[in-house]
Amino acid sequence: MRDATPAPAPRTGAGASSLFPYLLLAPALFVVGAFFVLPLGFSVVGAFEGNEGPTLDNLGRAFGLYRTDLLFTLLIVAASTALIGLGAIAIGGYLTLGRNAKARRILAAMYRWPLFIPFIVAAQAMRGFIGQNGLMNNTLIWIGLMPPEWAQSFLDWRGIVITFVWKQLPFATLLVAGAMAALDRAGIEAAQNLGASRMRILLGIVIPQVARNIMVALVLSFVTMMSVLSVPLMISGQSPTMLTVAMAWRINALGDYGTANALGLVACIASGLVAWAWLRQSAREAAR
Amino acid sequence: MDRRSLLLATAAIAGAGALPAHAQQRVTLNVLTAGDQNMVDYITDYLGPLFQRQNPGVTVRAIGTGPGDAGSQRIWERLEAQRRANAQSVDVDVAVVHQNMAGRMVAEGLLARFREQAATGNLATSAVTRNALGQNVDGFVMPMFNSQVAIAFNPARVPNPPTSFEALEQWARQNPRRFGYNGIRGGMSGVGFVFGWAYAFGPDQRRLIEGPFDAEAVAALTPALQRLREFNRNVVITGGNAGTLDALNRGEIDMGPVWMDMFYTWQAEGRLSPNMRLVLPESGLPGQPMYYVIPARAANADVARRFIELATSPPVQAEGIVRRFNWLPGIDAQHVQAHLDQQTWNRLFRDVPPDVLARGARPMPQADFMRAIQEAYERVVLN
Repeated sequence: MRDATPAPAPRTGAGASSLFPYLLLAPALFVVGAFFVLPLGFSVVGAFEGNEGPTLDNLGRAFGLYRTDLLFTLLIVAASTALIGLGAIAIGGYLTLGRNAKARRILAAMYRWPLFIPFIVAAQAMRGFIGQNGLMNNTLIWIGLMPPEWAQSFLDWRGIVITFVWKQLPFATLLVAGAMAALDRAGIEAAQNLGASRMRILLGIVIPQVARNIMVALVLSFVTMMSVLSVPLMISGQSPTMLTVAMAWRINALGDYGTANALGLVACIASGLVAWAWLRQSAREAAR
Repeated sequence: MDRRSLLLATAAIAGAGALPAHAQQRVTLNVLTAGDQNMVDYITDYLGPLFQRQNPGVTVRAIGTGPGDAGSQRIWERLEAQRRANAQSVDVDVAVVHQNMAGRMVAEGLLARFREQAATGNLATSAVTRNALGQNVDGFVMPMFNSQVAIAFNPARVPNPPTSFEALEQWARQNPRRFGYNGIRGGMSGVGFVFGWAYAFGPDQRRLIEGPFDAEAVAALTPALQRLREFNRNVVITGGNAGTLDALNRGEIDMGPVWMDMFYTWQAEGRLSPNMRLVLPESGLPGQPMYYVIPARAANADVARRFIELATSPPVQAEGIVRRFNWLPGIDAQHVQAHLDQQTWNRLFRDVPPDVLARGARPMPQADFMRAIQEAYERVVLN
């Protein structure tokens, strides 16, 4: 009996074609390697470099002088991330489950605006808005909702949190609301037919299905906020302050790259831990 | 080309050849200046155009590198990078730097010696012309101006301002969050206040100013810095030199340390209430000059020297430094006073008369102490 399966085609030029995908990737890999991995490597090595060879002095100085700033940074970013998560779920939830179509349209059009405003402009706007004699307090006093002696400045950690949430909330909402809009509405409608409240539907049906998207939005927001210099610099000269301000101070005023690198390493580890927790969670879910 | 055109072209070339050499060349003079925006404004709005009018073909390009020692640090980084790259000439022709960095640049051979060749070199004879925070800089620098930190206050809220740090400490306790300063990360007026505190409450003011450096002398400041930490609980930390003036003007604070020149300039420009006043505590607050320097291997060193000669000439020091920008002159005062009317001269000393200035003005600490005190502040006050 003759085999009906056609013979495989001769593999002419197989070596060149197998290299082709790598050649296509090469420029991107080069850019990542040269402009991200290599400087990161130098920065990590720099954290352990001293005038007389390898040392832990930089890390010691970083923790000795800036441990309060590190704690302050983590608390501010964690609080902002939590508020961003709540806000994104609230806005996304209303866009998905809200009953007033006009209000949904207005909210959908408005929530994206801060996306297009740079952090430094947001910080500058906030300085004029939440200062002791800023627009917010003056307006509240003017319309009689607050006596002048109650006016206080929010240009401290509260101002940083407000600015971070104002700036990052649209980004997180974009991801979360998009995922909610893409859900199969059959489950939502079935729950509505059975008399479930909107809050119950949001907590029991919608959020579990978009939990991964919420995590992505929050992890990306966390990492972004960890690296922002302009907002703490402009909003709050108070101490403690965020690590980015301390890093800029060590480099700009003292030319001390070693301690700045050590602070950068600490910030990288903090961001890396969050990313690792998220990846671990994602891997567990993928394995199910 | 007909004969007439040829003759005209020949005449034009011959005419160009007859011009003075410096008038023909097109030169861009790069002036990098540390300090606040007023430093850039001074060169962009006043000194640069004046020099360009006197030197056709020269364009002055002023670049600000930022306030405080951080601004001088950036200039050092630029020069150091070009030295490491073995550049034959550097792209900074004139730099305006703080004392601390001027001393370091001289020690590291980054600057050219020029004061002996400058026509105005002998008009500046004060100690800061030769010594910058313990480093010999004789011949390498010309003071652009001198400035002084003082306490600005609102007389409507503070009719009797404290004239000592002890009195200030007590006032801040009785009036929480009505005193503001910019810490040590937001410009030199805040740094100067911290040094003034160390001078007032530390055991040996003279040692901090004159050196030699000793780590134990820094450790001896710990009680003073702990006292400052308590003081900070009752004050507002502002966003910078300008932030303190802003907060004062908005009524958010009633007192705070500022540069005297910025204070007078803001008042002259209508950015600060004319009612605000200055006081200088008797235990002293530091002041400092800014220096003109010429980097070694500057591409246009001769033009740079002429620029500094103009900048340190008595008429320019009188008109630009004193009258327009309210700084104390960089060259000796007697050369400048002759070019000013009495009213302008008096305005410079309106709140802080010459005798009070003489008693209260201090240099910044010796360079090693300067850095060590800032780090001690971070360790003791901020933690």
